[in-house]
Amino acid sequence: MKPYDRLDRHALVMAIWTPSAFVAATLLHRGLSSGGAWWIFSGFAVIIAAFVAHIIANAVLGKGFTTGERALGIVAFAASVLALLLAVLVGPPGLGARIFLPVGLGLISLVVAVVAYLVIAFGARGAFEQFDVVRDNNLRPASRLPHRGGRR
Amino acid sequence: MTPLLLSILTLLALYGVYIAAVTARQEARPADFLDGAQALPGWAAMFLLPALVATGLGLQTQLAMVTRFGLQASHLAVGFVLAAMAALLLWNRMWYVARVAGLSTPGEALGQFYGSVTLRIVMLGLAVLFALPFSANLLSSAAHLLEGATDGLLPRAAGVWLLAISLAIPAIIGGWRATIMTLAMQAVLLALLFPGSTILAEMLASAPGFPAAPIPVQDGVLWDRLPGVIQYSAGIGKEMPATGIFTTVALSSSVIALLGIVFSPATLYLGQTASPGRAVGLSTVWLAAGLLTGIFVLGAPLLATRMADGPIALAIQFYAFEPLTGVGLIVMLLVGALLTVSFFVTGGAILVTRELVIRYLFPDLSEQEQRFSARVAIGFAFFLLAFMASFLPLVSAVLGSVALPFAVQLLPAFLGLTFLRWISRGAVIAGMTLGMLIVFFTEPPGLILFEGLFVNLPWGRWPLTIHSAAWGLAINLAVVLLASAATLRAPDSLQRNRLHDALFQATGVAVGGRGLFWALMLLWSFLAYGPGAVLGNTFFSHPIFTSGEATLGIPSLWVWQILFWLLGVVLVWWMAFRVGFGRTSEDAIRTIELEHGKRVRPDWLAAGLDRINGRAR
Repeated sequence: MKPYDRLDRHALVMAIWTPSAFVAATLLHRGLSSGGAWWIFSGFAVIIAAFVAHIIANAVLGKGFTTGERALGIVAFAASVLALLLAVLVGPPGLGARIFLPVGLGLISLVVAVVAYLVIAFGARGAFEQFDVVRDNNLRPASRLPHRGGRR
Repeated sequence: MTPLLLSILTLLALYGVYIAAVTARQEARPADFLDGAQALPGWAAMFLLPALVATGLGLQTQLAMVTRFGLQASHLAVGFVLAAMAALLLWNRMWYVARVAGLSTPGEALGQFYGSVTLRIVMLGLAVLFALPFSANLLSSAAHLLEGATDGLLPRAAGVWLLAISLAIPAIIGGWRATIMTLAMQAVLLALLFPGSTILAEMLASAPGFPAAPIPVQDGVLWDRLPGVIQYSAGIGKEMPATGIFTTVALSSSVIALLGIVFSPATLYLGQTASPGRAVGLSTVWLAAGLLTGIFVLGAPLLATRMADGPIALAIQFYAFEPLTGVGLIVMLLVGALLTVSFFVTGGAILVTRELVIRYLFPDLSEQEQRFSARVAIGFAFFLLAFMASFLPLVSAVLGSVALPFAVQLLPAFLGLTFLRWISRGAVIAGMTLGMLIVFFTEPPGLILFEGLFVNLPWGRWPLTIHSAAWGLAINLAVVLLASAATLRAPDSLQRNRLHDALFQATGVAVGGRGLFWALMLLWSFLAYGPGAVLGNTFFSHPIFTSGEATLGIPSLWVWQILFWLLGVVLVWWMAFRVGFGRTSEDAIRTIELEHGKRVRPDWLAAGLDRINGRAR
């Protein structure tokens, strides 16, 4: 590994997400403020396009998502879901009804995109094992033996 | 709009500082500050090159020209394909020159190869010309736009200094690598904002625009066709052709001038310091010839039509619809200028540090001291830039006008270095000197100087609608051909042959013996932006072999431009991936050392330094 590889990848990821985030924010803001569902869908489409570009960058550089990127993605997604729920529950009258369907569908499309990536990258079983912490809870070295199931 | 615009600009500046800080923290060697360890990420060079090519025209300037002259001005964008081709050939060979002979800057490459200090000085002068007047002119216009966008809250002079400081800090912290990586992100931003703004302008328009309606140009200007092959006018400033200035010779000569961006020292340095791989091919084929040319050929007439009242009027309209889109339009125009400014000033300061300070003035500097001197040079360069942009905008505009055509006069020198071994030092210097003189006297600096001191000249700028770059290059090439024929057995030919042999061994690619390719290239050039382009005026609306008329609904010239843009992409692809110029590799490199360029100070510089040292003692 060359000395600047990590830095170069980080800058590439930033170069993908920063302009995309600006465009997505513009589209989503327009959609949320004026209630146009297609603007919201376009905003989520830009996010998915940036995600695909990130995956391509990973593939070209032979790397995967870093822990920080995964954490940031999960936190951002959770915050979005929470914001949607709060908007529906305590937001101005009519706001929830206006944005719930397009934003909800957009968030679901993000989940679908991530699941599709995991299945393509790791296969169905491998994708499940990415989250299968219960199966991976035996710390004894013997648990790695093939006749014990070859865990971890 | 002002608070949101300033917030976005602040975020952009903070992005630069962040990338610079991360880069500085991970710096492996202090000397990497100056050249990015000669391994800049391929993706960064890939994204940045097309943006730099576009800035050869100037984003705002080109849109204003299309608003004024219509499709004849928009036709210039087809020339991006030629710029992509030139970048492909030159970047490939200059990268190998840096690895094979250890000539790691453009000035060093030319100076060592030809054994000429003059060429080093010329490259240094060009680096300064691009870094100061050329960039100052861009910075001044960016600050002017910012003043308008903020409704006068941020005066032009204050804007100049704020923008210069925001560009200087990341460059001083992170050096070459950080600057390139930051600018690459801005290039992606431009690639998203330009088509986005065009689509939005069409969505918000209340009346039909181009191509359903004509581009609203002045009376008499041919908005949908080229005004002939040549016009016998004395030149801009003396006589303005009523139908428009973009004849086919004006287009072809302007396209030649556009190559000046590729020949500029900082752009070549970017190519030399990139990592090996396929980035240069991908960048030139798909991003420069493909995406960039497509965006300009298809999008510029649409956006320019909607921008007839100026960019700020359109931004206000956008802002009323959605605040971020209005700010996005202004940011796009600002980034189009600031990206170039940051690139040329940082690159120029680093090249001056390497070529002058480290090589001649203080050759014994340690790596830390070299980095420190580069930081001082960058800071000083940005200070001079801001000074010129704020207090000398007219001088900057006048002097900056010769940067591109001067750079084009180095074409024979680079051809000799990279492909044509028979071009000799004397020929290059004689041709370049004459070429630059002719450029000087067909551009504002020479015209103003001569007419101010002596008498009025009978010609103005671009006489016969031919760009100064082409006037200079024609004489330059004639002199180079004649002089090289007389110096085929010059004593320095041995060293030149050594480098060319080593280059061929390393690349395994020769441009000779590709008759079909070059024949198609010439034919394409003739029809795309040469005299044959005039056929496009009516080729698709009044087909030549029938008496009927075709009802396309769009101007014939626009179809012609789209057609030759697509054909041009095929040609660049051929050159990049079939001929093999699109990839670089260290596998077959065998290093050599050129011997006729020992590290010696020029006599005049050594004498000057001795005199200063003597006085100091």
